[in-house]
Amino acid sequence: MINVIRKNLVLWLTILVLVIFFVMAARGMDTEDWVITLLRGLSVGAVTFLVASGFSLIFGLLDVLNLAHGTMFMIGAYVAWTVYVRPDTFVDLLAPGLLLVSGFMLSGLWDRLREGIRIDGFLRKALPWMGLMLAAVIVVLVFRRFPITIWDVGNYAQSPVTYSFMADQGLLVLPEGEPFEEISPAVAAIGLMAGSLIAGFSLSLFKKSTQANLKVGWRSYLGFFMVALVGLAALFLNDGLTAFLTGINSNWLFFLAVLSAVSFGILLGGVMESTLIRPLYVRPIYQLMLTIGLSAIGIEVVRAIWGRPEFVMPKPAMFSGTGEGCPATTLADLVQYHCSTIELLDGRIRVYNEIFIPVVGLVVLITVWMLLQRSKLGMIIRAGVQDGEMVEALGINVRRVFTLVFALGVGLAALGGALAAPSMGLSNVMGESLLLNALIALAIGGLTSYPGAALGSILVGLLQQFIIKYGAIGIPIPFTEIIFKPTPPLVPASTVLLMVIILLLMPNGLLGRKE
Amino acid sequence: MDTLLDVQEIHTFIGQYHILEGVSLGVPQGSITALLGRNGAGKTTTLKSILGLTAPRQGKVVFDGRDLSGMRSFDIAALGIGYVPEHRAIFRDLSVEENLKIAEREKGDYTRKSDMIFDLFPDLKRLITLSGANLSGGQQQMLAIARALVADNKLLLIDEPSEGLAPVLIEQMMKVISRLSVESTVVLVEQNFLVASQLAEYFVIIEEGKSVKSGMMKDLVNDHETIHRYLGAA
Repeated sequence: MINVIRKNLVLWLTILVLVIFFVMAARGMDTEDWVITLLRGLSVGAVTFLVASGFSLIFGLLDVLNLAHGTMFMIGAYVAWTVYVRPDTFVDLLAPGLLLVSGFMLSGLWDRLREGIRIDGFLRKALPWMGLMLAAVIVVLVFRRFPITIWDVGNYAQSPVTYSFMADQGLLVLPEGEPFEEISPAVAAIGLMAGSLIAGFSLSLFKKSTQANLKVGWRSYLGFFMVALVGLAALFLNDGLTAFLTGINSNWLFFLAVLSAVSFGILLGGVMESTLIRPLYVRPIYQLMLTIGLSAIGIEVVRAIWGRPEFVMPKPAMFSGTGEGCPATTLADLVQYHCSTIELLDGRIRVYNEIFIPVVGLVVLITVWMLLQRSKLGMIIRAGVQDGEMVEALGINVRRVFTLVFALGVGLAALGGALAAPSMGLSNVMGESLLLNALIALAIGGLTSYPGAALGSILVGLLQQFIIKYGAIGIPIPFTEIIFKPTPPLVPASTVLLMVIILLLMPNGLLGRKE
Repeated sequence: MDTLLDVQEIHTFIGQYHILEGVSLGVPQGSITALLGRNGAGKTTTLKSILGLTAPRQGKVVFDGRDLSGMRSFDIAALGIGYVPEHRAIFRDLSVEENLKIAEREKGDYTRKSDMIFDLFPDLKRLITLSGANLSGGQQQMLAIARALVADNKLLLIDEPSEGLAPVLIEQMMKVISRLSVESTVVLVEQNFLVASQLAEYFVIIEEGKSVKSGMMKDLVNDHETIHRYLGAA
């Protein structure tokens, strides 16, 4: 025990000082204030953690600083909002989206076909490009004739802000779905699927022949049929599906929204790694520039679709009760009336922001931790962080694990965005500020340490919220009459200051490994 | 005797540096072949080129009758090649047991082989829950070899097993390696000529990226001129 303490003396001393500061900060305010501030800190910390942990997993294993991670967080939020508030748009996009993905689900079959055909020379090089171009032409031709109810950005009455407000008031009326006019739905479906199949096969032709013994499992076909089937169903049952989604309980819709955001994030991450990041592993600087560029592109795409206004995603029914029995004073009331707030020690605590989000953060923390510690995949990730070449020498396809981890990391960020949409709201800049927070949290906790990401995020969240609270109530400076009120610019500055102090004491962060 | 591994005139570049400028070697089935040569001659790069970790630009590697050109290294390894790298490359964050389990190529490899492995390395059984970071140099070396034994490997590439070990441990290591060669074929990189000469039947000398001499070890032992010229040993 003594040895453990001696070994990490600086760490223990740092934690001790942090605890002392926390106790001092807590003593300066009423109990209700500090409980609420603590919970708010944990809430911000949990969202930061979702971004930071994905970032740290990706950096640890792939050595990629994914500066587009904040944008992924933002995209997660917008996707969740769209599913939740505009299910018609979601359904409209679901069909073409799934049909476009379906062709790539057959990658196993494509690989086997590639091994089977023998072509050489110019044709071998030209064929994949020709295939891709053909696919692109088909998809563009079909897609622009697809009727998709995207709101008219110019018309304020239909803007996201209004829809959010109406959804929150329970007055949401969705515009009529547009009918197919220029092409028949069947032609559209066949066109998109053909484009996707051609593109999938062409992409596979880019790969070198591996001579490996390829088996195509039934799962590969099953995946294709499932995706294609759901896509077709979404296409032909469009209005019915929209009506169904508008009709179901908002809790389920919220769940579906979060699930869609995470799936979209995973898909986006997988595509991003396998097409853009992978060719640049030998050029880290280019990779960095690429992720910065992608981040900017992502922001512009979001602006083009959803516009610039800031808006808030309404909370699901489970967390938005305000009527009789609210704010809840007992757990039974909370369960019965689904109150949005509970009353505790004379203060009001928002259930979604201050309880639900930290709980989800904790669940994710434990789930990913178990995945890392208990599963074969986790074993490979932990080993790969240290020595990817050796893992490969054991006969493990590390590149596939890279794609998986990248997809998982982006999925976590998208989850963070979806969860933050009802509490922090949506805006074009939400990603950048959160990424900065996450980077500071990682520097504090240790760049590639998973528990470090959690600790750093919590510290950043707590510090910010306590500074914000003291901005309102003021800190009396001892032996003087002065009451110091931290101004808003001091909020981000305080976390940077904490980072500087900790890095001076422990250059690898609190839980980082010594190099 | 059948040739398990046939390396034909390979040229390997690392970045812009031409590291291997024509290495050839044939490894007979069931033998131990030692790669000898001075520091920086290209012995480790030869092992990595066989595995495709640094893929050769010219020449080819034929393993078990199969041309490995263009194959990715994990596919090559999966054909049945075990690698024990220089400095062991034990996964520090993984426990001893995980270090072994990660090498499974088929589910159940570890359970099937564990008796054999712990028979060879009784110490590892005692250390099974310890993390790789807490092992001594000798224990790490044992674990690195044990890890290469978990999957069914026809060929073992062992890089500098005696490096940094105490004499007692070197002797133990030599016993293990000679026992291994009963079932699989071994290519050994070894700086310590005494160790190499006692273990290996065949040798290949690599000098400045080229294979310059090869033959039976028992002939080399008496060829003082060659030893002095290429290995600098007395």
